[in-house]
Amino acid sequence: MTWTLMDKCCNRCWHSPEYPCRHYIRCRLSGPLCHEDVECRVRRSRRLKEIRYGRHGFKINVPLASCTIAAGAHEVYEAVVKEVKSRGILADIHRTGCMGMCYIDPWIELSKKGMPSAIYANVKPSDVPRIIKEYLEGDVSSAFALRNRTGNAKGEDKVPLLDELEPWRNQVRWVSRNCGIVDPESIEEYIALGGYRGLDRALNMRPEEVIEEIRKSGLRGRGGAGFPTWLKWKIAREQPGDVKYIIMNADEGDPGAFMNRLLAESDPHRVLEGMIIAAYAIGASKGFIFVRAEKPLMAERLSKAVEQARKYGLLGDNILGRGFSFDVEVILSAGAFVCGEETALIAAIEGRTRPRQRPPYPATRGLWGKPTIINNVETLAHVATIMAEGWEKFAKYGTEKTKGTKMFCVTGSVKRTGAYEVPVGTTIEKLVVEIAGGPPEGRKIKAVQIGGPSGGCVPASLLSTPIDYETLQKAGAIMGSGGIVVIDDHSCMVDVAKFFTSFTVAESCGKCFPCRIGMKILYDILEKITNGEGSEEDLEVLEELGNVIRSSSLCALGGTAPNPVLSTLRYFKDEYLAHVRSKRCPAKVCTKLVEYWINPDKCTGCGTCARNCPSKAISGELGKPHVIDKSKCIHCGQCYIVCPVGAVEKR
Amino acid sequence: MVKVYVNDKEVEVGEGSYIIDAVIKAGYSVPTLCFFKGIYREASCRICIVELGNGRLVPACAYPVSEGLRVYTNTERVRRNRRVILELILASHKIKCQSCPRKGGFCQLLDLAREYGVEGIPVCAECPLHGNECLLVRGEPCLGPITIAGCGSPCTREGTICIGCRGPITRRDVLVEAARLYKEHKIPLEEVFSKMKLFWNNHPSLDKIYNILLETYNGGEKK
Repeated sequence: MTWTLMDKCCNRCWHSPEYPCRHYIRCRLSGPLCHEDVECRVRRSRRLKEIRYGRHGFKINVPLASCTIAAGAHEVYEAVVKEVKSRGILADIHRTGCMGMCYIDPWIELSKKGMPSAIYANVKPSDVPRIIKEYLEGDVSSAFALRNRTGNAKGEDKVPLLDELEPWRNQVRWVSRNCGIVDPESIEEYIALGGYRGLDRALNMRPEEVIEEIRKSGLRGRGGAGFPTWLKWKIAREQPGDVKYIIMNADEGDPGAFMNRLLAESDPHRVLEGMIIAAYAIGASKGFIFVRAEKPLMAERLSKAVEQARKYGLLGDNILGRGFSFDVEVILSAGAFVCGEETALIAAIEGRTRPRQRPPYPATRGLWGKPTIINNVETLAHVATIMAEGWEKFAKYGTEKTKGTKMFCVTGSVKRTGAYEVPVGTTIEKLVVEIAGGPPEGRKIKAVQIGGPSGGCVPASLLSTPIDYETLQKAGAIMGSGGIVVIDDHSCMVDVAKFFTSFTVAESCGKCFPCRIGMKILYDILEKITNGEGSEEDLEVLEELGNVIRSSSLCALGGTAPNPVLSTLRYFKDEYLAHVRSKRCPAKVCTKLVEYWINPDKCTGCGTCARNCPSKAISGELGKPHVIDKSKCIHCGQCYIVCPVGAVEKR
Repeated sequence: MVKVYVNDKEVEVGEGSYIIDAVIKAGYSVPTLCFFKGIYREASCRICIVELGNGRLVPACAYPVSEGLRVYTNTERVRRNRRVILELILASHKIKCQSCPRKGGFCQLLDLAREYGVEGIPVCAECPLHGNECLLVRGEPCLGPITIAGCGSPCTREGTICIGCRGPITRRDVLVEAARLYKEHKIPLEEVFSKMKLFWNNHPSLDKIYNILLETYNGGEKK
């Protein structure tokens, strides 16, 4: 075992979880503080340097988070290990988290003393020997980007700096600063990069002062509703009784949103630190991390972080000798979307299943009847960073009403899918077009769906809207957890609304009638419209029913579930009308409303379509253009998919 | 004690009580279905929604009162929401009023449906209230099983058959149930059809009703 920063430098260091030392965190970086010893000091600074630059002056970063592993990072990691071994070079193979640029996954970063640190994108295991060979020979021309320039590597001027790249330049990496840099399974590295300083500072203040600091920063809950964090804490703090709870809501379920997973997988200690600070501020004695069981790596990394923090006395009794005791338990959720709602989340921990009517709000009566604070992963990560850096730096960003930064996951029809952190108030256009690269060539943005299945569609004409809780609400969407799905002109808005509705229908818990029955009827009507059986009355029913579900549902799931339907009805009424009036789908997506025909100029007469047609509607001789019999066609679209020359066309 | 305004009428209720207590104390009423005082207060049926002064709709049975709370129990918005919710409940409710044990006259759902003008309940649900013998049993082609309720069944009370003056129900499950009844009592469908022509001759869904009735009437034999 190598000596780490977390260990005692010599026998004079006396910190242990049983006998905590107040200066433990500061001592790690600028220590030893309790005694003067050159040897100990040198030992610490040498270890710090090792963490930053690698033990052998050559460091290979391989990202291992769920997203990169899905793209093949495990294989790349093995290839790197094999290559380093077979070459006999001394190198630190360093696991990191994901840096949020999903479109370059899996990437690896090589950094050697005296060489620029180079990032290689979309690495395949077979590329690894070539990349390492080139890099060691001083050639970085095939790299994707460089972190810095030194001027002594070949091809350096051809490769852009990471800071100059569009998706990186426009970001403000505030909570995600460590993502892709730090080893998520090592508390030592987090502390070496300035972690747990915020906790140290918070424990030096009174809890009221911590709440005041958060109030000044203007932080609002990043889970979607945007309730001021400090106010929530203050209400819980003022409740009588000495048993209070804090719950971290890591039950991220929106399709297309993964910023919480990314944060908790790439930098779990930051999130945990924020949680300890919040617990101190409200006086909670016990915390729960509620993680989706469907995200096993996230649960594993958070559990590991909790274990490590407990081992070094950052959790447990009398934390850092300040008389504050707090412990955390990781709970796996069964994976229902509704559990992201706070009362349902509490019910799930208690062993029940469904949300309940608010008030009483959890801040006054929550888990087992005690005051409970539920904060989102991202909010807690913000708390840790604010306490470490001070509120002034945080409040510098953002709009008048909402301060700071927010992570957004841009998916759908964009060139550069990923999770990007930008100041609140950035326009949708900047995020989607500048940072994420806009839709692929030849396509146009039609709408942007913000806030997942409970959010709304913002049309392309409103792309200059700044992203803010209030402005989005006015536009008919919600910020939600920050998932942004870009929809291009190849998509049918009725179909999009149907897709999101089908999700909420499946995830409705079934407790209250408007959501359980109403959403199903909403879905049935949409299905009717996409099948070409809708009438104009149906559109009125959609609108009225949607409004009733929104205003009279029990929890936020039902309260926001009709949003996709209502917002598309508001901005894309013409598409709905085309479906019900002329029974046509303008985007040619709804298969029942599309007429297939074979272009005789293109058809080669290969007969593939005729063989694949389930209703035997296609006839023709081999080698001659085929014809579709409209009376037999069931609009399944099979011929369109299988035609090798693209002769089957929609109209 | 907490001061609450129900429909602008001042009323004082004890701390920790709910809106419904204040509403009852003020002399108004709120319809409830799932609420059962002391046993069930989960607010799942949402029929008891009332409007607050700030425009929010909340369930009266589970929303605690606070000082100066303004509650409106019968605004247009509340009534519209209640009506839609009732329609939703009825949409997933098996309307088999003829064989429902509640037909003696204490069906809250039926009362509410009548109050809010929701269609979908047949005259047969009201008819037994007055202790009439079912005319179908006597073999008469009564249109009760497929006519919208709400009249209080004056015709059957006088011993004549229902002739459907309030219009037909177009819900499939009701029609299927009706066809089953007609078949059970061996009433020929042609007689029912001829009665239907009296008031419903120009009804747009008449063909649909014919088809469903015929289908079930004839299709049932196979089973």
